[in-house]
Amino acid sequence: MSELLIFIIMVGVFAAVSFALKWPVSISMLLAAIAGALAGGEGIPIRHLVEGSFGYVDTILTISTAMIFMNAFKESGGLESLSTAVIRRFHKIPALLVILLMLVAMFPGMITGSSSAAVLTAGAVVAPILVLMGIPAAQVAAFIAMAGILGMIAPPVNVPAMIIGGGIDMPYVGFEIPLLLLTMPLAILSALWFGYRYIKKTDMKKVLAALDSTTLDKYGAFRLFSPVILVLVLMVADRAFPRYSNLGMPLIFTIGAFLAFFTGKRFNVLNAAKLAVEQALPVLGILVGVGMFIQIMTLTGVRGFIVVNALSVPPALLYLAIAVSIPLFGAVSAFGSASVLGVPFLLALLQQDQIITAAALSLICALGDFMPPTALSAIFAAQVVGIKGYGSTLKKLIIPSLVVVAWALIFIIFSKQIRGML
Amino acid sequence: MKKHHISALIFLAIALVAAGIAGASFLSMRENEYIAKGPGVSEVKMLSDWFPALAGSPGDTEVYILRSESSNDDAASMLVLGGTHPNEPAAFVAAVLLVENAQPSAGTLYVIPRANNSAFTHNDPQEGSPQRFTIKTPDGDRVFRFGSRATNPVHQWPDPDVYIHASSGQSLSGNETRNLNRGYPGKADGTLTEKVCYGITELIKKEAITITVDLHEASPEYPVNMAMVAHPNAMPLASETVIGLEMQDIAIGLEPSPVNLRGLTHRELGDFTDTLPVLMETPNASQGRLRGKTDEALVLTGIDPWYVKAEKLGRLYVPYDGNGHPIEERVGRHVAGIAELAFTWTLNNPERPLEFSGLPSYAELLDTGLGIWLKAPEQ
Repeated sequence: MSELLIFIIMVGVFAAVSFALKWPVSISMLLAAIAGALAGGEGIPIRHLVEGSFGYVDTILTISTAMIFMNAFKESGGLESLSTAVIRRFHKIPALLVILLMLVAMFPGMITGSSSAAVLTAGAVVAPILVLMGIPAAQVAAFIAMAGILGMIAPPVNVPAMIIGGGIDMPYVGFEIPLLLLTMPLAILSALWFGYRYIKKTDMKKVLAALDSTTLDKYGAFRLFSPVILVLVLMVADRAFPRYSNLGMPLIFTIGAFLAFFTGKRFNVLNAAKLAVEQALPVLGILVGVGMFIQIMTLTGVRGFIVVNALSVPPALLYLAIAVSIPLFGAVSAFGSASVLGVPFLLALLQQDQIITAAALSLICALGDFMPPTALSAIFAAQVVGIKGYGSTLKKLIIPSLVVVAWALIFIIFSKQIRGML
Repeated sequence: MKKHHISALIFLAIALVAAGIAGASFLSMRENEYIAKGPGVSEVKMLSDWFPALAGSPGDTEVYILRSESSNDDAASMLVLGGTHPNEPAAFVAAVLLVENAQPSAGTLYVIPRANNSAFTHNDPQEGSPQRFTIKTPDGDRVFRFGSRATNPVHQWPDPDVYIHASSGQSLSGNETRNLNRGYPGKADGTLTEKVCYGITELIKKEAITITVDLHEASPEYPVNMAMVAHPNAMPLASETVIGLEMQDIAIGLEPSPVNLRGLTHRELGDFTDTLPVLMETPNASQGRLRGKTDEALVLTGIDPWYVKAEKLGRLYVPYDGNGHPIEERVGRHVAGIAELAFTWTLNNPERPLEFSGLPSYAELLDTGLGIWLKAPEQ
């Protein structure tokens, strides 16, 4: 059976089970993977299905512990109090406030290279502040989702760029300035687009009057915020002093959650952890299903079919192929897209400045975290804000995503000229 | 019992059965394949004999020593690394072929067929790789494992977000922390991968290895392919060798070891030891991103319609047609390269010759296939 037909069967089974039967996305991916394997003459390859899901073990552990940490911090009263403290201090300069909040929301992504870590930590801290300041919930979710992917791409840690560079034996050296140029203008633009136009209409006096500072006054800012401070310090230490500090994200989040138990209101640790895992479970299931799906795509040759066809376009349409295929493949995984498509596209663009081109390709790869069904950044952002489903968040992200793609393509097309200016 | 509890139990049972089947399959990868001791093998040691901290670890691996009768402490020597990346099968099979056939008449040949022993025990998730491939011999089948590019995470986990190369401070993607060919010269108290690198470096230093050859394969879309990569110290030897190979109608390029890409054999072993390091690459579709159906046939033949299409589109760095690049050709390139390196060395250093016989030529391997050069498993 041809790869095209296998691909159609896989997508068809996924759509039928997910949309028509309304089964969970994770189960739909599993059944689509099995259908693809059967169509490819592989039977039901249990080893391959299990092996594929192992690609996300580390991500699953990070997401689970990050969710437990955020729930613990929320239950301790820290999250609410942090919003109160920030609004009190910066309410007179709202434009600066939204830009600062964007940078804060990006920060964990910059340090860890993970959009999920950014959305679930600083994103969860920033979201209530933005809501209190009068920004609609879907807009807030889009704000922190965008912060997640921009943080993931901004230096110092950009895993997609490392993956793309590794594919052509290019070390991750000299990426800092191109990545700053790629991400910081977009960060400022996004902050103003998603936030400022609403904040400027908000009556800050009313917002201030509505703030509840009981917990903040009782425990004090330093004590209440110490779990977040500790987590950020440990994240920075892991990056700045890798020879001495190598705790890893799951352990850092676990330490933060443990500390939150002592810094504010008392809460039931087991219940908080259970609730966190319950909230994360659908996404964890999707990751497992996606792992199986991509393994079967590779096994049956569908992956090669997609990659070679993406590379088959005439040179003039190469940029269009980059703009379309990389984010689309990101539906499976942004990192996977960097490896599977980012590397061949960089090889096709070797005549350009390689560092700037790889940096720009990594930015387009990051958009994969907005692409359903995985859409990690968007799903978590909606969850953090408390919106059911992530469709409304994705709608808000369409235009900014097009701007991101255009910005990245400008960097690729003019990479030599940009290099000349640096 | 409530209905959803019954559903949960059914799914739990299915999950357990799947885990059992997959677990048994994964565990089977820990069984080493057969390697025969050829007529030239004088001793088999373990890497831990040079770095005892590896003893009993999954990184410890056999070192086959093929010493000529005339060999002494001053004699020239060559170390061949196969299986640095066990998803590059021609490199592994070429090393096994050396062990089973080479007969040194001058100098000493050291061969480590499974340089990253741990990486042979698993496959890379989402790559859909076969676990094994079979080569038919006149006396029966020889089965080889097709492993992973990196150390098994069961043996070294978790990966950091960013891998910092120990001696240079260079940053790479976190999963490169398990890549043997990013960890040289190694670290005595480092990760398992760094310890294996350290053990190999110790072997090179203590045995005063003259030439080190690291065998690899590369995806056809990778620019450094059908090539020899050499450290500046090894460049005179490598350039003469390449000319010699071209004279045998073996098309091969010569690449200098990049100064700014650290942790690789051809850079670090030249900087940190007195050996002359070279690395060889052959085209392997089964590790590429553009490949179609991933199975044993692809590993053995390299026949892949998507690579043929990609070649027509100008996206490849090696010629690619409907004949693929069969494993006989890829192993033949490696074996011919090793023989030519020894020949060139001896030509320039007649007082310290390095000579071995018993190896098939490139043309012979293409003509006869691999099977007759591999020994059947002992019953």
